[in-house]
Amino acid sequence: MNKTVVMVASGVAAYMTLTATAYAGDLVWARDGDIDSLDPHRATSTLSRQLWYQVYDSLLEFDEQGQPVPNLAKDWTVSDDGTEIVFTLHEGIKCHDGSAFDTNDVKWTADRAIFSDNPSLTKASWGPVTAVEKVDDLTVKFTLSKPFGAFVPFMADQFTSMLCDSNKDHDDFGVASAIGTGPWKFESWTKGSQIVLTANPDYQNFGRPVDNPGKPYADRLIVRTMPEAQTRVAGLQTGELQIIVPPIQEVEALQANPDVEMHIAESTGQNMFLQFSAHRPPFNDAKARQAVSYAIDKDLALDIVFGGLVVRERCPVSVGVFGHDENFCDKYDQDYDPQKARELLAELGYGPDNPMQIVMATWTGDSREKVLQVFQNQLKQVGIEASIEVMDIGTLNARVTTENNKKEGPGFINLMGWTWFDPDVLYLLWHSPGAYEGYTHPDLDELLDRTRTTVDADERREVVQQVFEHLLVNAVHVPIYTPGWLWMYAVTSKAPGFTIGPFNRPLFNAVKF
Amino acid sequence: MLNYLIRRILSAVVTIFVTTIAVAMLIHLVPGDPVQIMYAQSQGTTPEHLEQVRQSLGLDRPLVEQYVMYMQRVLQGDLGHTIRGEQPVLDLLLLRLPNTLLLTGTALLIAVSIGLTFGFIAAYKRGSWVDTSLMTTAILGVSMPHFWLGLILLFFFAVKLQWLPVAGNNLENLILPAITLGVTNAAIIARLTRSSMIDVFDQDFVRTARAKGLTRAAVLYKHALRAGLVPIVTMIGLQFTYMMGGAIVVENVFGWNGVGRMAIQAIFQRDYPLIQGFILMFALVVVTVSIILDIVYVWLDPRIRYD
Repeated sequence: MNKTVVMVASGVAAYMTLTATAYAGDLVWARDGDIDSLDPHRATSTLSRQLWYQVYDSLLEFDEQGQPVPNLAKDWTVSDDGTEIVFTLHEGIKCHDGSAFDTNDVKWTADRAIFSDNPSLTKASWGPVTAVEKVDDLTVKFTLSKPFGAFVPFMADQFTSMLCDSNKDHDDFGVASAIGTGPWKFESWTKGSQIVLTANPDYQNFGRPVDNPGKPYADRLIVRTMPEAQTRVAGLQTGELQIIVPPIQEVEALQANPDVEMHIAESTGQNMFLQFSAHRPPFNDAKARQAVSYAIDKDLALDIVFGGLVVRERCPVSVGVFGHDENFCDKYDQDYDPQKARELLAELGYGPDNPMQIVMATWTGDSREKVLQVFQNQLKQVGIEASIEVMDIGTLNARVTTENNKKEGPGFINLMGWTWFDPDVLYLLWHSPGAYEGYTHPDLDELLDRTRTTVDADERREVVQQVFEHLLVNAVHVPIYTPGWLWMYAVTSKAPGFTIGPFNRPLFNAVKF
Repeated sequence: MLNYLIRRILSAVVTIFVTTIAVAMLIHLVPGDPVQIMYAQSQGTTPEHLEQVRQSLGLDRPLVEQYVMYMQRVLQGDLGHTIRGEQPVLDLLLLRLPNTLLLTGTALLIAVSIGLTFGFIAAYKRGSWVDTSLMTTAILGVSMPHFWLGLILLFFFAVKLQWLPVAGNNLENLILPAITLGVTNAAIIARLTRSSMIDVFDQDFVRTARAKGLTRAAVLYKHALRAGLVPIVTMIGLQFTYMMGGAIVVENVFGWNGVGRMAIQAIFQRDYPLIQGFILMFALVVVTVSIILDIVYVWLDPRIRYD
């Protein structure tokens, strides 16, 4: 009996020591959840994407304006008809296993994502690619069946992270191994607990917006999963952790703490907006939708709820995404004007004796419910009586589709959030039949088709902005704020050099610790 | 005894069987298309992929067939793959189960040692100030939520004194969560031990033993304690399963990498195969613990004969 106890105990002890401890000089980054996979073709969560960004590089990168710039590829050309895109790679890039990174790796990655039996979850975003050909070791050609405007920017997204073809020799790729060309080499992943990365000595930084041309300064980056926010804050205080995702209620205290630097991601691609049940009264009439948009004081609501941690968003895609132009959108959206709202409601036959009854919904977390509470109050001022429902995101998604298909019932509004790096998200949302089978319009469909087939950047921007105009003027997609779920990083002042790149990509390359 | 054990194991099999039906049907309890709900937060997922998942889960077939498919897989040790990241569910559970059992086991050890000692002393000193103060402490213990006690211990021992690390999965990280989980449960055991021992002290056989001229210590240890333990063991068995539940909260606070924490995450992410695997595994643990308890009864009180 005693023997068994000793054996079990020593087994457990052996297991425990396997989960590596942090050493001095290790940079420890604690987040609320774990990644889903090391394989960029098998997951979609932000937590996963942020980790892929450390281990892999993509052909292109984004600059601060959301424009693709060279990275692993030093340049690229698009044929006149937009169906052939040729990338030329930098020479001398090395994979983490020491092999040379060349077009075999690019072809292997793309073939695996698009043409394999188990393609990438985001295969559709690659567009109508029909072939990937190796021209020579440093030149690779993508052929498309028709032009696809979102293809080039997609090459700067983590979903197109370039995998080295030596990964095919590892059955455990994505689960216990990962070979890329990024600044950090993958060492180990203890699921639910931590991921250990080491600095890549051969790293060359071609496109990342960070002040370090080569190997990261820290020796190791340890990414810990710690779901309880107070525990993360405690770890930052004791020096066990250097970078944490803090809880919103601690932000003020952390900002006042001289030993802590607060970083807030400015460009995340997240867009929080209101959408309406558009197939039944009252919101099948643009006037009713506009009335709601005029009646709510978006700036005031954001100030009350978030106090400066988020920014007002006027466009249907968020700051940093291609085509975004606040001045342009400001011309077409509805500014706070309760009198105008009352007039529109009167035209529709609503008034003090006959108030409009509606339901507003959103999903749990990140103070979204509070935003709706402020709106509820403001709507009441113009004679709209709204009830609020808060539910799980899965339930909400299903509910929005159901509400859009119902022919009867009170008007239904929901505060929704979508995240994408390109205005192609508007195609997914609003092109017939629509992501939620809601509002569609032949003119809008035609414009959205053109956002995909127009390849020239200036022309595409013009079409994208025409889409914005349609959505804003008709109050179909009423933008409220960005980012939707707060992306903040509290960093100890002992580890300076942390920055956040476009689309909420944390950069540890220049952190000295 | 052997007969009883066989019957007991058969009834356990029935329990597990009923659980599997509930688990297999879990997916249909949610209104709407389950596959769409599972992928609610995975923007850009292709419709083909959703269809593939629907087929692999057998959702396009009649319920009975779905259940048969599910059982065929489970009996072969295949609990399916997670929705997020497509990893084998069984591997994920087996990786973390030892951590949860270690935490719960250590906490139980703490709870039993403190609980039995306090309860026994309180019963022995019945009515004195020792009894009153021990039982007041116990009431305090019962009333403390795990979450709150965990954070208090964390700030005192990890942040202020810096004796122990905040979170992690080494043995030194086990101390605070095990105390958190153990202390609150010790209180319950202490109260029960006290009342059970008071009952036993008043029994004839205890008086007889004393009358035989045995020492006070011998009477208490050899006769009274063993008899008084029977209801306490039942309680400890129940406590163990409750503690597995409590471990969910404690694992979250201390970043302990156990199954409870994983289950919480799976629920938030609507990862059905993982939730199903967790429930099935939990049911197995509970049933196994209850069988072990039945055997312990016989050892404690030879009068109990399961014939």
